[in-house]
Amino acid sequence: MKGFCNPINSTEMSTNKEYLQIERNQEWRAELRKKIANKDRTAKIRVKMPEMEPEVRIKYQDREVNTGLTEAMAQSEASRCLDCANPTCIEGCPVSINIPKFVKYIELGSFLEAAKTLKETSALPAVCGRVCPQEKQCEATCFYTVKLQKDPVAIGHLERFAADYERESGFMSVPEVAPSNGIKVAAVGSGPASLSFAGDMIKLGYDVTVFEALHEIGGVLKYGIPEFRLPNKIVDVELDNLQKMGVKFVRNFIVGKTASFEDLKEEGFEAFFVASGAGLPRFMNIPGENFNGILSSNEYLTRVNLMNAASDEFDTPIIKGKNVAVIGGGNTAMDSVRTAKRLGAERAIIIYRRSRVEMPARVEEVHHAEEEGIEFINLANPIEYFADEKGKVNRMRVQRMGLGEPDASGRRRPIVLEGSEFDIPVDLVVVAVGVSPNPLIPSEVKELKVSKWGTIEVNEETMQSSIPEMFAGGDIVRGGATVILAMGDGRKAAASMHEYLQEKR
Amino acid sequence: MANISTRFFGLNLNSPVIAASSSMTGHSEQVLKLAEAGAGAIVLKSIFEEEIYHELEEELSLRDGLHSDPEYLDYFDYVIKDENIKKYLKLISETKARTTVPIVASVNCVSSSDWVLFARKIEEAGADALELNMFITPSDVAKSSENNEQFYFETIENVLQVVKIPVSIKISHYFSNLSGMVKKLADTGIAGITIFNRFYSPDIDIQSEHVTVADVLSTPDDYLLPLKWTGILSGQVKVDLAATSGIHTAETAVKFLLSGASAVQIASVIYKEGPSAITTMNQGISDWMDQKGYKTIDDFKGSLSLAATSVQAWERTQFMKYFGEKVI
Repeated sequence: MKGFCNPINSTEMSTNKEYLQIERNQEWRAELRKKIANKDRTAKIRVKMPEMEPEVRIKYQDREVNTGLTEAMAQSEASRCLDCANPTCIEGCPVSINIPKFVKYIELGSFLEAAKTLKETSALPAVCGRVCPQEKQCEATCFYTVKLQKDPVAIGHLERFAADYERESGFMSVPEVAPSNGIKVAAVGSGPASLSFAGDMIKLGYDVTVFEALHEIGGVLKYGIPEFRLPNKIVDVELDNLQKMGVKFVRNFIVGKTASFEDLKEEGFEAFFVASGAGLPRFMNIPGENFNGILSSNEYLTRVNLMNAASDEFDTPIIKGKNVAVIGGGNTAMDSVRTAKRLGAERAIIIYRRSRVEMPARVEEVHHAEEEGIEFINLANPIEYFADEKGKVNRMRVQRMGLGEPDASGRRRPIVLEGSEFDIPVDLVVVAVGVSPNPLIPSEVKELKVSKWGTIEVNEETMQSSIPEMFAGGDIVRGGATVILAMGDGRKAAASMHEYLQEKR
Repeated sequence: MANISTRFFGLNLNSPVIAASSSMTGHSEQVLKLAEAGAGAIVLKSIFEEEIYHELEEELSLRDGLHSDPEYLDYFDYVIKDENIKKYLKLISETKARTTVPIVASVNCVSSSDWVLFARKIEEAGADALELNMFITPSDVAKSSENNEQFYFETIENVLQVVKIPVSIKISHYFSNLSGMVKKLADTGIAGITIFNRFYSPDIDIQSEHVTVADVLSTPDDYLLPLKWTGILSGQVKVDLAATSGIHTAETAVKFLLSGASAVQIASVIYKEGPSAITTMNQGISDWMDQKGYKTIDDFKGSLSLAATSVQAWERTQFMKYFGEKVI
């Protein structure tokens, strides 16, 4: 694995055709390809991820739905991969994982080598294996999908398998790190973009500090994604790995309040990566939205995920509704509604103004939600809430929607069906219609160029902001991004910051 | 100076000259200038549901390069509307805080729920009255006229149910029986009707052979259509009328008052001459009243309407004898 401690090289290499060819021509891979004929590989059926039974899992907030592949399942699935000469799957991966290489290591039974391969370019393989929308990324560009119109190789499941195997084996590898160059850089926020950035910068020899405003590191991975999808202990292991590589984490530290960028510069920080996320909840601003019992998905999920509100041993208050409506159709809405079910809701409903086809949530999450008895009221939009004499929400009014012509996002536009209003009894409403960028840094740093929506404007190639030493990525730039896109931003920013700092010297 | 006060929008106005909804009434500084110039009321620039949708479309197409999560694209559905409403409510509260001239909000929506939502928020923000800028271009061959008309009644009913401030409407002339429609609208409980909406009009460039945009500003001749209908309708319907389109001088404004309008709404002349056009018009109306010996607008309002004169004068549709006697 020599030479892989440099993330810039590793990125270039993992997408460099010549290098990929050299890797592919290694004897062990050539031998492996010969072992099974391609027609036999393509005849195999895609593995199905084992899951905990719905009626069991809805009793637990912290037990994972997907239980992971067995070694035999993983090896069989890995053998479906044709080890293509032109691995298009890599093009679909924002962090450029050398996918055929790690998959072939699994087929070979070298699971630890597979995990090591993942870590060449990804700081969070166990996380990505669980929450990345592979069906829209690497699996969407897999040869099976593109050319054979068959189910793609289950790259996401295999990624998770390799990462879990390594963690459970007790032989966690720590990626090589270049000798310290003594240059201090900081990441603001500790979500996936920052962690990915920190992983790459530490490999290059920088002195990396990640500043987090909350008491827990992990950002959205900890407060946003419930444990039944991503257990906190999985995130902790990946954080521990980064710490072992030398990344420093500072908790309860708000850059822009606890200390300004100027203060940090005085302490010797030469460049910054801002990934402060989008944590400002949005509401619909419809009548009655201020009644008790109506809260944002941010608040609801943070109370449960980060402050243990689901556990009776903790004092964190949370409303455990019997009739819960969650407004929205994204992954956050799915996480909220499934959390409500686990907290005892008898009726947990998704209310989304478009149809199932346009729902932004991952297909897998929608499927899991359905299995768990979540009710879907599609093509419906809330227009008013009503409350009892104490001001507690007890009813909501929604109107039916139809679908018009596709909008600029390619999805059909919802159109109100006049006179179609109806009421639904509710005692808890969770509004998951999106979040706005964290306004703190854009308002603190006046010279920073910011869009009208509060996102930091960057050069898309370099992630560099209008302030040369300030780079940015993730939700604070994109407004909303998947974990893996945020991680891709972190890697891109690390490469550009490295170049910037080296040129300065 | 004669007393030129009047009543429209269900409000007492110091002048019958109202600054109509236009881009000039979309900024608080401009609104204040119009108020200082003597406008009887100011109708703020309409908030259009369709415009909000177009802004959304523009934003979505800009996000292509960032491969935004569809969840984030959904967010824009909500945030763009929300931000537009907030901006509009801020305009209302800012202008209300800085002038005593009545501030009238104006909305144009597609869906009834948004008419209701916008109306509620506008009232909360402190607008003195609300103008529903209503129109359906009757271009859908599959729709019946009843279908189109029903939209007006349902919207008015829904809005009147949720707000206490006076609600007026601004309509087009595209009705199969305009008089009957206006009479029915007048009976809904609205405080006033302004005739007629001025629309975007397509034109054609015969050199490039392209459809183009016609001049958006009115010309002084455009007043004849609303004048005719003001004369016919006033005295026959139980609601205050105001007129708009082509009213560029005090003389034209007086014609409308004589035909039975309670007020006039002007925009194009302000674009051309600035806010002083209002002052000039107020002075002109007053001078004419002094000259004629009228003390108040009520002394002569509607004195030349159809109800006060003859059907023949207002409803004649063909030129017949007039042109029959002309020799080229």
